Amino acid sequence: MKLFEFEGKSLFKKTGIPVPEGDVAVSAEEAGAIADRIGFPVVLKSQILGGGRGKAGGIFFAKNQEDVSREAEKLFGMTIAEEAVKKILVEEKIAIASEFYMGITLDLKVGLPVLMVSDRGGVDIESVAEEAPQALHRVHLDPDKTLRLYHAVDLISKTGLTGKVLTSASGVLLKLVECYFRYEAMTAEINPLIIDADSRVLAADSKFEIDDSARFRQPEVNAFVREKAAPDPLEAEAIEAGVSYVRMAGGSIGLISGGAGLGMASMDMIKNHGGEPANFLDLSGNATPERTAAALKVVLKTPGVEGVLVNLFGGINNCEQMAKGIAQVVDELKPAQAIAVKMRGHSQEEGWEILEKRKIPIVKYGTTEEAVVMLLDTMKKKGTG
Amino acid sequence: MAILVDKNTRVLVQGATGRQGAYHTLKMLEYDVAVAGGVSPGKGGQQVHGVPIFDTVAQAKKNADVNAAMILVPPAGVLTAAMEAIENRIELIVVVTEFVPFHDTLKIRAAAAAQNVRVIGPNTVGIISPGKSKVGIMPGFIYSQGNVGMISRSGTLTHEIASNLTYRKMGQSTCICIGGDAVKGTDFVDALKLFRSDPETETVVMAGEIGGAGEEMAAEYIRKEGYPKRVIAFVAGATAPPEKRMGHAGAIISGGFGSAQSKLSLFERAGVMVARGLDEILEKIME
Repeated sequence: MKLFEFEGKSLFKKTGIPVPEGDVAVSAEEAGAIADRIGFPVVLKSQILGGGRGKAGGIFFAKNQEDVSREAEKLFGMTIAEEAVKKILVEEKIAIASEFYMGITLDLKVGLPVLMVSDRGGVDIESVAEEAPQALHRVHLDPDKTLRLYHAVDLISKTGLTGKVLTSASGVLLKLVECYFRYEAMTAEINPLIIDADSRVLAADSKFEIDDSARFRQPEVNAFVREKAAPDPLEAEAIEAGVSYVRMAGGSIGLISGGAGLGMASMDMIKNHGGEPANFLDLSGNATPERTAAALKVVLKTPGVEGVLVNLFGGINNCEQMAKGIAQVVDELKPAQAIAVKMRGHSQEEGWEILEKRKIPIVKYGTTEEAVVMLLDTMKKKGTG
Repeated sequence: MAILVDKNTRVLVQGATGRQGAYHTLKMLEYDVAVAGGVSPGKGGQQVHGVPIFDTVAQAKKNADVNAAMILVPPAGVLTAAMEAIENRIELIVVVTEFVPFHDTLKIRAAAAAQNVRVIGPNTVGIISPGKSKVGIMPGFIYSQGNVGMISRSGTLTHEIASNLTYRKMGQSTCICIGGDAVKGTDFVDALKLFRSDPETETVVMAGEIGGAGEEMAAEYIRKEGYPKRVIAFVAGATAPPEKRMGHAGAIISGGFGSAQSKLSLFERAGVMVARGLDEILEKIME
């Protein structure tokens, strides 16, 4: 789960990382009231989860109330990379002396979190890593060892900071590490970390991604309100059913797979045979008849779907249970689309029998390729392929 | 031979009294696996399909002589269960559970390294040496004994490839599912090192996915160190859209990194045979 800047900053504040004074507004009037309270000049920052806000004109500096009401209206009407601006963070404008970067993410190559700092703040850190790798200083975090102040000072001093701001920035770095572990982040970033004209060290932005698997024990993160993410009602239905579903525009072949790897390999195979996958759907574990049925309904409803490939394994799941779910949908909806099933594993005989009774074509011992070919043939016979 | 599991493997099931735990305890017994004990705190003294249940791993180790553990407990309980197995020096620990918080996996990895025990997973179907033993939840009958070693991130892809091999009379030495998460106890390179000196394994099939850096590291390892056996690599997700998580926590192309195309071209450069589709894996082995 990605956090909005204002949400991340509230976690910073709780941990003791200094942030500019400010508050979040949902209307131009509210933005004006906040600006009055903290005093001009202020900065208005549109709150979106994606990047590219600055370039898209989603940030504005306001000198007075007229600026605020005019620009806040404009920001609230904006959509940045398909994301409508619903909230604005109104903050004191900082007199920037210098900008830095500090962040923690997972180093996939070694399987450890890596702490990174740089004096190239305020720009995309991936481009710094590519263009000026010498300006990016890294150290891996051992989950068993506590990062001490002297480690932080050692790392921050490589950015050229000295004196009081060196120790302040080092303190912030330790607190960022604390945030990363406490909120079980996958990524935690301050970009930029600002040193202002009065030598204050402030987190001017926040970027957090929290591990979804840890949310059951992260009440502070769960307190952040999300409107039900349903730009797509089918995606909402899939979430409701507890399956992983990704839609692909322009496809005609729906897919239900048991397991992510088999799902992706099935999509690749459909494409190899000239078909276009319309979706990815991983049934995952605990595939009861009800969940299997709900998943099949989502796929059948996916726009453009003319045939459905069901490619399942009874590993953690059971073929009989999954076949019951498929049968339920076929009996209930009598779908016009072609369906082909490849299914084996635990209780495969029982599963096959249920499907054979309904004359649903099955691949028993063959490969995914055979199942794809069978589906495409059936679609041709139906005149849809 | 084979790697990690064989006839000497004596399995402890952590979470054996749960629905999944009991079911897969039975399935392992049916496969002739020596399931020597189970652990469920508070249920010591009970039995599951004739297997004695203990309150702690220490008690199980003392009374049942176990050397491998399979963890099938809910995500919130995995850290404790794994730490308990690690502290008791169980040599092989397979974490089947999906949705383990990744900060917990970081701790498990560090502890396993310190105690010099092997963790496989999380989010895995486990490991099987067909005809000998398994520590996992795979349907045993679709696997068969032979000379193909397999390393796969995906559980169902492991089943799929193994069953395709089996129906074409090509058996497997050991199939190890390393799991679908971004942080894993055992990665491709670790598994390649184990297969390297296994006399029973002639060919190694690597079934990767988009996302992560495990395939890249494996290609680099083979390119730098050379590999004495034929290696065939497949990467699922060539058609997956970027920035979308494809079912597995680790399967996401992010910032242009981790695409199937880039992984496959690194494998090619390392002299690995590349299969562009599932069926091509079979064709390459038969070549």
